[in-house]
Amino acid sequence: MPVGERGAIRLESLTRRYGRVVALDEVDLEVRAGELLTLVGPSGSGKSTVLRLIAGLDRPDRGRILVDGQDVGRVPPHRRSVAMVFQDYALYPHLTVLDNLLFGLRVRRVPRDEARRRARAAADRLGIADLLDRYPDQTSGGQRQRVALARALLREPAVHLLDEPLASLDAPLRFATRAELLALHRDLGTTTVHVTHDQAEAMTLGDRVAVLDGGRVRQVGPPQQVYDEPADTFVAGFLGSPPMNLVPGSGVLGGTAGLILGVRPEDLALGADGPVEATVEAVEALGSETILLTRCADGTRLTVRTGPRPGVGTGERVRLRPDPARLHRFDAETGRRR
Amino acid sequence: MTSGRARPALTAWAFLAPYAVAVGLLIVLPGLLTLGYAFTDHTGLTRDPQFVGLANLRRLLSDEFLLDSVRASAFHLALAVPLRLLAAVGLGLLLAAPRPGGRWFRVAVYLPTVIPDVALAVLFLWVLNPLYGPLNQVLGLVGHPGFTWLSDPATARVAVALMLAFPIGEGFIVVLAARRMLDGRLYEAAVLEGCGPFGQLRRLTLPLLAPVLLLLAVRDTILTLQVNFVPAYILTDGRPANATLYLPVYIFDQAFEFSGFAYGALITTVLMVATAAVITALLLVVRRWRVLR
Repeated sequence: MPVGERGAIRLESLTRRYGRVVALDEVDLEVRAGELLTLVGPSGSGKSTVLRLIAGLDRPDRGRILVDGQDVGRVPPHRRSVAMVFQDYALYPHLTVLDNLLFGLRVRRVPRDEARRRARAAADRLGIADLLDRYPDQTSGGQRQRVALARALLREPAVHLLDEPLASLDAPLRFATRAELLALHRDLGTTTVHVTHDQAEAMTLGDRVAVLDGGRVRQVGPPQQVYDEPADTFVAGFLGSPPMNLVPGSGVLGGTAGLILGVRPEDLALGADGPVEATVEAVEALGSETILLTRCADGTRLTVRTGPRPGVGTGERVRLRPDPARLHRFDAETGRRR
Repeated sequence: MTSGRARPALTAWAFLAPYAVAVGLLIVLPGLLTLGYAFTDHTGLTRDPQFVGLANLRRLLSDEFLLDSVRASAFHLALAVPLRLLAAVGLGLLLAAPRPGGRWFRVAVYLPTVIPDVALAVLFLWVLNPLYGPLNQVLGLVGHPGFTWLSDPATARVAVALMLAFPIGEGFIVVLAARRMLDGRLYEAAVLEGCGPFGQLRRLTLPLLAPVLLLLAVRDTILTLQVNFVPAYILTDGRPANATLYLPVYIFDQAFEFSGFAYGALITTVLMVATAAVITALLLVVRRWRVLR
């Protein structure tokens, strides 16, 4: 099968417990061949466990993992056609960059010249050809990440698993690397599952995003769709920064009891004729935009995202108008979208 | 500015001073005295030792017992150091992973180190007894007639090395701790590449532990050349046929029983030079084989 047509993953009621802690609880998830799926969720939500189970580094208590329709439950990790980039890269500290790249090829007894040719090709592709003689601790965080990626490429896997690959990079580098990672994925066409707790990564990197919490999948879909139509209050609160304003029904956003109404900070407009009256408690000027933290008469706090230099200061009274088309309704009891 | 920089240095020297004084009084001074006595006629009781030039050295060069002693020590070194390292590293790696009952095994490995050498040697007198000792009985189970361990030159040397393969607690603890500090993710990455348990040992564990192993090898070389005194004294008293007349035993015999301090001091110097030579050779091999990066 050509790349792009292989590497379809299906998780069926996958459950994993560590003692009394349920890391994954009946997870069903499908990753299409060639797709880049981002797993996002808070710490302890089970994201990394999903990766480890797919890689075969851990075994599920219940459920099945199918790759291209085949149950890989009894397939050892190195026969799964899976490559993983670990969070802190797991480069072998006693080996040079070149030897790190050659490690797997040597284990698989690839002939010496062939192995060197492939290692150099992977290094060229990721722009680390001039680092081959260095040891990992003589390279920067960004370079180490490239070495880890190159090492993963050399396995020519059907599936790439990336465990928070950008977490140890500083902000500007993360921004640049995000774009490169995406380009590399488009170029290779390999199925990729990428774990992050960073929202910007989740929104920008994946074809689809799966939101996990407490070992359960809360929602799967294209990032913008998940952002626009969160399936429940957890997703609504988790994706987006600052998070969605969630107000119990019959409060300042209207609605009836038994409902929770949600509105994103950018869907609250400042306007003299707005129905909601609030006092500005803090102004966070971020340069390109301003975040207003306000409080209504009944104590409800609303966050407002507005343009730069809005001309309001702390303590001033403002009127806010929620965009009626962008109002979200959730069941107060279950938290599900209605 | 200068005083600001000088003060921390002064503080450092102040903290080091007690140690420096102890090293000076207990190691450097006796070391220099030993070297000096080697060229005198000091017996230990002489009130006014006289310088005798190279007389002791001339005697040393024609001393056949010394040759036996060096041979015994070299054999012991070649057998005991690898044996002790293998035991410490093997058991350390085996018992590093948490597993049920692991702590009892770890205690069992450390226990012989707590036992005084003399007691362990007396215990080994029983273990090695050709008539009722358990070692020969175990050999009997596989149809072997057993050895007269301590009365045959070859087996006596093996017996002493065997006994010293038990008190390996410190090396064991060091390996255990070092193995536990290695990042588990490196092993997961290797498993994904198809690296099996022996591949992981060869490609990850041993190279990553190389600095620790080298340290243990150097330490064990120094130790092994010295600690065989007690077992040799109790098990064989240097016999049979001088097979266990290790350098420390010979030094003791010469210094306190036969020739006095001066000749003992000269052989002690030989032991120190030999130890330094072995360690230098070891470090050269390590550099040559690029064991350390």
